[in-house]
Amino acid sequence: MNIPTFTEAIDGVCCGCDWEIVTLNRLGLVPEAGKNTALVLGLLMSLPAMAVELSVNVKSASGAVLEGMVVYAEPLDGQQLPATDKVISVGQKGKSFTPYVSVSQAGNNVLFDNQDNITHHIYSVDGDSRFSFKIKAGEKRLQDGLNSAGEVAMGCNIHDWMSGYILLVDTPLFAKTAAQGNVSFDVSETGRYKVTVWHPQLRAENNREAQVIDLNEDIQITAQLINGMEAVPSQESDDDFDFISDY
Amino acid sequence: MLNKGTVLAVLISAGGVAQVSALESKVNGIIDYRFAHSDTSNSYRQGGVGKFGTDNGGQAYVGQAGLQWILEWDSGLSFHSVANGYLDGEDNGLGITETFFKYRGIPSESGNRLQSRVGLFYPAISLENKAFAWASKNTLNSSTLNTWIGEEIRLLGVELGWTRLGKLNDSNYDLSFTASGFFNNDPTGALLAWHGWTSSSRQTVWGEKRKIPPLEARKPGYKLAPQAAESDPFLELDDRPGYHLQTQVRWARKGEVNLGYYDNNAQTNIVVNGQYTWRTRFYYAGARWLLPNKLELSAQYMTGDTLMNDVYGNAVVDNDYSSAYIMLSKRWNKHRLTGRLEEFSVTDKDQTVGDNNDEYGKAATLNYTYRYSKPVFLSVEHNWINSDRPGRVYSGQPVSREERQLLFAVRYFF
Repeated sequence: MNIPTFTEAIDGVCCGCDWEIVTLNRLGLVPEAGKNTALVLGLLMSLPAMAVELSVNVKSASGAVLEGMVVYAEPLDGQQLPATDKVISVGQKGKSFTPYVSVSQAGNNVLFDNQDNITHHIYSVDGDSRFSFKIKAGEKRLQDGLNSAGEVAMGCNIHDWMSGYILLVDTPLFAKTAAQGNVSFDVSETGRYKVTVWHPQLRAENNREAQVIDLNEDIQITAQLINGMEAVPSQESDDDFDFISDY
Repeated sequence: MLNKGTVLAVLISAGGVAQVSALESKVNGIIDYRFAHSDTSNSYRQGGVGKFGTDNGGQAYVGQAGLQWILEWDSGLSFHSVANGYLDGEDNGLGITETFFKYRGIPSESGNRLQSRVGLFYPAISLENKAFAWASKNTLNSSTLNTWIGEEIRLLGVELGWTRLGKLNDSNYDLSFTASGFFNNDPTGALLAWHGWTSSSRQTVWGEKRKIPPLEARKPGYKLAPQAAESDPFLELDDRPGYHLQTQVRWARKGEVNLGYYDNNAQTNIVVNGQYTWRTRFYYAGARWLLPNKLELSAQYMTGDTLMNDVYGNAVVDNDYSSAYIMLSKRWNKHRLTGRLEEFSVTDKDQTVGDNNDEYGKAATLNYTYRYSKPVFLSVEHNWINSDRPGRVYSGQPVSREERQLLFAVRYFF
């Protein structure tokens, strides 16, 4: 078994990160197993097509599990990963973006889904992914042109308190952490990857912390963040009266 | 997450992807039916000196029937028209209170956004009248400060606004500056000078005139003899534009502060058909703060002056005025309780015989509103105003007067 090596931080990646990385005994492989079985399994594991599992558990600086954090892994050795055809859905519900944070592979469309009974005027101000459109009550809209990796900050020009983000990434390996703070990816190509954790409220440069890993077998990373988190802004009107003139 | 096949199926079942939705029309409004029992004089609305919208005694009436129509284009351009009707059998009114085009741009990457309004509109001064058709949100009668805005202040012109949205600029507040130029507000100030501060739900519709109370100075041979019996606040007499400037800071989910200056810039020696130009200007400040436990604190203050000269340039009416309120409102589930305290004054600085406009008063309002269903609100409100106004003697009324009003209302928003 190879022990993953820690690699120097690159490209503005958080230099102080020192995430705990544990390799896993795949398929319940135990030292007492028969020689032949071990040999066969060893051969299987050395095949390039064999997927390995990358699990990441995101924790705050104080050790609490963090849900809803974006985690993505980018290949650094020129590994060719087929682009995903996942189309993410960004809802407008209760005059708020639901979910608040989404992640998608750059180049894919994003489905906007207005579940409210009023019109919204959705916009993004980010240079490479600038858009604006009105979406009526109950309408859905497939937005294209989201081709450049980066952070897309969105708002509604009618309801200024609405705020949402899409992170566009250059990799099909992306997810948001579940309730226990974990994500996992089946990675078809081994080699070096930069694993990044992002959230708009993460108090770090570019709102992200990252570490480079050698991924040659199943590994489990505990990504304990160095930086703290701002409170996620609540998407609520300052006025709870329902019949306000929005002009 | 969905894959492309699922998305396509969803879209087909939903009747297709939304394409450009060219134009959208929205109609909203309010119907306010109320019963008032008042201990007061004849209402200021009819040339009396009473400070409420109704006369002495009991009365059932339509306190407001408001309709607003908004036509929106995808570009950020919209057309707004607001009509208001009042039906009380005495001073019925029906007409347009606002009509304007609005353009709101998309913010830049650093959160800068431009907005413009062209047409007839209220300057964004009131922190109370934010419901449909400029209805007051938490009380039935507006404060004296905003009742006056609804009676004599309207901008017919152009407004330009710049906002920097904090959420796109790494700051925790939105900052706005607004500047407007307007016409058709030259006699503004006359009604405030002559009937003082008042409190009601009545807005003046465009073109509506209002009777002024009896003044000794309007008798033949006195200074104000040429003054018409009704004041028409929305006239253009000097072809000079006025202006309004405002800045606003808004902290999301915390509160807001606004500061502004209004100046109708009237040339003060013109009289046309008994309507004089009045140079009316004021500073104002307002704040609204959200406290814990659904408690909302708000306050507004205004101070200014108004000057009316005769055709020779001599001051006939020269008044300073101010009004302030502080309001606390708390909601729990379907219930809302609102209390408001006010203080107001007019200081007469001219020497005109038979035209004493001095006034000093205080007011208190207590409102309880029950939200019967989503659009229906049942309210009971008590208003109390105690004021000294020497000019009431011209109407045979005592200088000091305590007035009370009890209101029961059903308000339906749609």
